[in-house]
Formats: sequence, structure tokens, C-alpha cells
Amino acid sequence: MQRRNFIRNTSLSMAALMIKPPIPMKEDTILGQGNKRYKLDNHWSQADVAKYPVNDCHEMIQDSKGRILLLTNETHNNVLIYDKKGKILDTWGHEYPGAHGLTLFDENGTEVLFICDNARHQVIKTTIDGRVLMTLDYPKETGQYTKPEEYIPTETAITPNGDIYVADGYGKDFIIHYDASGRYLGYFGGRGPEEKHLLNAHGICLDFRDGNQPNLIITSRQQNAFKRYTLSGEFINTISLPGAWVCRPVIKGDYLYSAVLQTNSRQGQHSGWVTILDKNYKVVSNLAGSVPNYVDGKLDEMYQTIKCFSYPHDVCIDDEENLYIAQWNSGKVYPYKLSPVI
Amino acid sequence: MKKLFLAALTFLFFHCSYSQQEFQLAPPVVKYNSVFFIQSATVSLQFLQPGTQIFYSLNGKEPAKNDLVYQSPIVIKKSLTTLKAKVFGNGYVPSETVQATFIKDGLKIKSIEPSPANEKFPGNGAKTLFDNEGGIADMHNKNFLGYQKDSVEINVLLEKKQPIHSLLLDFLRDEGSWIFLPQSIQVYYFNENKNSYELIGKKKILPDTIINGSACVFEIIKPGKKITANKIKIILQPLQSIPEGHPGKGKQAWLFIDEIKIY
Repeated sequence: MQRRNFIRNTSLSMAALMIKPPIPMKEDTILGQGNKRYKLDNHWSQADVAKYPVNDCHEMIQDSKGRILLLTNETHNNVLIYDKKGKILDTWGHEYPGAHGLTLFDENGTEVLFICDNARHQVIKTTIDGRVLMTLDYPKETGQYTKPEEYIPTETAITPNGDIYVADGYGKDFIIHYDASGRYLGYFGGRGPEEKHLLNAHGICLDFRDGNQPNLIITSRQQNAFKRYTLSGEFINTISLPGAWVCRPVIKGDYLYSAVLQTNSRQGQHSGWVTILDKNYKVVSNLAGSVPNYVDGKLDEMYQTIKCFSYPHDVCIDDEENLYIAQWNSGKVYPYKLSPVI
Repeated sequence: MKKLFLAALTFLFFHCSYSQQEFQLAPPVVKYNSVFFIQSATVSLQFLQPGTQIFYSLNGKEPAKNDLVYQSPIVIKKSLTTLKAKVFGNGYVPSETVQATFIKDGLKIKSIEPSPANEKFPGNGAKTLFDNEGGIADMHNKNFLGYQKDSVEINVLLEKKQPIHSLLLDFLRDEGSWIFLPQSIQVYYFNENKNSYELIGKKKILPDTIINGSACVFEIIKPGKKITANKIKIILQPLQSIPEGHPGKGKQAWLFIDEIKIY
């Protein structure tokens, strides 16, 4: 029995014994549409809040050992390491007050992490257990920045050869490109009136799904869209997601998953959900959101329908296709787990 | 004692029958071009979630399951009709109620001269205030004139001199963006006999609890006496000190206005 229900039922138990009303079982909450439907478990985390506090739960990844890593801006423990059942296995990190972006990279058989820190205005490369390997400061080489405070990186994407792309999603919305050793190679994006420009470039990932050259998918959150670019930064096209404040794109198998921070028409009102796009960038399921509706190929405005999330910030998909949802500014809740419904 | 027991029983059954409903539905999406209309306004409601229905009322009452079920766009012809809508669905707590009031055009306005709006929020110029466009609670749309100053003066010229029964002013409330209702509204009419403006109505608005999100709010001012006029002057005082509990506490608030109607 889940904890909340247990408490609720306990408070009724005295009276219930006297008159024996039927105590209904809690119905499962099933979210989503089509073949992307999930059962919600909002009590997945077994972390003791006194020992393992969280603040904003920003991003999550699964490592090759099957462990789930959560990045939070709570410096008591910036990284919480869970097993898939929600048990805490380990923690590390006290020096990331603005911990925001978490990317895993397999570097010749050794897994490393890239952390974007909003408050430190830096990107930090670490081992899986938190030893610092490299720090990237604000990119003055671009000529676009005069001081660290202008640079507020939110996400990284790493190519197979180790090239690093950093999205300055809360700063100037430029994408900065480095080689594996951290040598500056160039930049693109930024704000402006053209379609190739970005507004709140909150996430970035590599897309290998078309089999040829990989492309970059970059969030333009305030424009409710993802935008595609080549690895050299040439704009390809926009994937419009009306109504959806999409966070980072996460690709697993043929699908692209993204937490939607909030509904555009209900800003500031805990109106988030989770969206799933197929290989053709078509929305196939909204978890706690409206059924995707295409009219003449154009997607209707989407919105939250069930208030089970407040401000989802990231989706992690594990090796068994379960989803973990980390949330920002949502009463310090631990991540929720969603299991596929066959 | 018996009464008390019955009450306890009712309470218990209520709780039991709802105990599996952990989550609430989000409110339905209400779509319209403008709340202001000349002949009629058309409203559509949306909620694409299987197993749910939208119920609505047009009489101002809270929608319930025996009210109208939304099926197709609603046409509204009567001024100050308030649409209230709510979603119900098995296994979920019903949504909050959303509402919108539709406002019919009033006496013909020849021109309006408002104080210059802040350069960031110029709307569509002076005509913004009598174009029958608005009632959409988004600070970035062009239907609002935005002000951050001590006092805003708006001079209205009607097409002809005629009896005036009431004035309606439509504002934006978006306190997260520092946009509050004005702290006072004063209305004057031009008294030709005295060749001067005379105060005919005023209203003070106290900022109550801070709200999340944004909403359009209208205020109606009725003259304290029977008047006939073609010139009206409105003085708005934006909130000068944002209340406790807001990050902007003590600072001057913004004022956003999108329409004026005279009846």
C-alpha cells in the first residue's frame, strides 16, 4: 500500500470498523494515449527527506549499471543515486548550487557526466562518482560575453567523438561548440527574429535516428518548439509544439520524450505534462496532457488535462522503458515513476 | 447525538466514495476572439481527455453535472453574460471552474485620448480602448495599454451628447508580472453649464490576496446622478505600493487596460 493511502485509511479506520463501509481500492492512474500509456507511481522514491533532501529536481539519467542519477540544486547532496525501485544507493556533490543540466557520456568505456551549473556559470565534467575532470568557464572566445553572469548554461550534448555542445538557455541562447578537450570551436543560435534563432534554449540532444549524419535538436522553450540543426550549426527546421513549454529533448529508441514545464495558456499555474514524439516528430502521446490533434498536418494547441504534475523538468527512460519524471519548483517532490501499460 | 452521528456518517461516506480520486482535472480551455462584441460572441470550449465532459452554465451559477454538456460552440448575444465551465470525469476530482464575461458594445465613441502608454506596451494606440478587441488575459497581446506611472488620464468623446447610465473599464490582473488593478478610479463628465469637469463617480480598489496566473477584470462605475454628456474624463491611479507577500513589495505596480464601454 502506498504511504499516502495508508495514512488516509488509518485516519478513517476507527469509524470504519463500526459501520463497515466499503473501502475502495485506489484506482491506478493511467496516463497517455495509443501505445504510449503509463501507470503513475508518485511514491517511487524511498529517500528519507531528513537524510536526502532535494530542492528543484532538474534532470535524471540512467548509467550502464542500471542506476538512476538525479541532479538537484540542493547542495546537501547534488546527486542522488537510486536503484530502479527507488532505493537510495549513494549520493555525492555539495558544490553545485545551480545544478541544472545532467548529461551522461560513454568515454571509451568509462562513463562521465557533464553538469551545467546556472549559479556558477560553468559546465563541469566529472566522473560518475563526482571527481571533477574539466571545468568550462563562460565562453568569452565568442565575443558575445563580457562577464560570467551573462552565461547561464542549462544543457550539454556530447557527440561520439567527445565534442561538447553547450546550450546557454538562461543566458543569451547561444550554442557553444568545444572539442573533447574543451577547446573552443565556434557558436551559433542566439536570439533574433529569424527562424534559426532561439528563445530559452533550455535543452539540446543528438538525434541519430535517421541513420545517416546525426543532427542536433535544441529547445526553444518560450517559442513552444524544438529546432533542428546540423552539427555545424546550420538550421534545418522547426518542430512546433503549440502550448508546450518543452524542456530538454530525450531520445530513446524511436521516440523523443520531453517534460513540458507548463501550459502556455496557464503559465505559473503548475500546468505541466510530459509529451512523446515519434521518429517523424509527430506527437503520439501526452501524459497528463490533451490528446494530440492534427488538423491538415498542423498540431492544435496542447494543454495539461490532469493535474498530477506541477512543473515537470526532465524525463529519464530506463532500460525497461519506465519513465522517471523530475520536477522543478514543485514543493521539493522526489521524482515520479511511470511504467508502461501493455 | 443522533444528528451528530448522521453527520459523521455522511462525512465518512463522502470521503470513502472519493478516496480513489487523487488527482484533479485541469480546467477546460475557453476560446474566443474577444469578450467584447457588437451583435454576438462565439465561444468554444476544449478538453481533449477521454472519459471527461465539459459542463457549463450561462446563468452565473457554478456548473454541475445536471447543467448543459458542451457539444458545439456557444453563441452569446446578451451583454454581461457570464459563461462558467468545468470538467467532470470518472476517477478524478472535477476541475476548477473557469469563467468569462461577454460584454456588448455601448454608446458610439468618437475618440479616446489616453495618457501615453509605456513604450513597451503601446497596444494599438488610442483605438485599443474602443476597438471591441480584448478580454484575453495575456500581457503580451496588443489589446492592452500598459502604464507604470502615478496617474493615467483618459478623455473620451462620444459621437453625440446623450444620457449616461454607466461606464465599464476592463483591466488585466497578472500579479506575478507586477500588473495590478488600479487603486482608484475617478470619472468626470463635462458640465457645459459650468464649463468644467465634474466628478460623477469613483471607486477605490484594495489589493486583496495575491493571485497566481492572470485574468481580465472589469469594473463598472455608475454616476451618482442623472447626467447628459458627450465628454467623459477618467483618472486612474495605478497601485502605488505593492502589498506584502509579493517580491515587488512597496514598489509601484503596472496598470494594464484594454477597453472602455459607456452605456
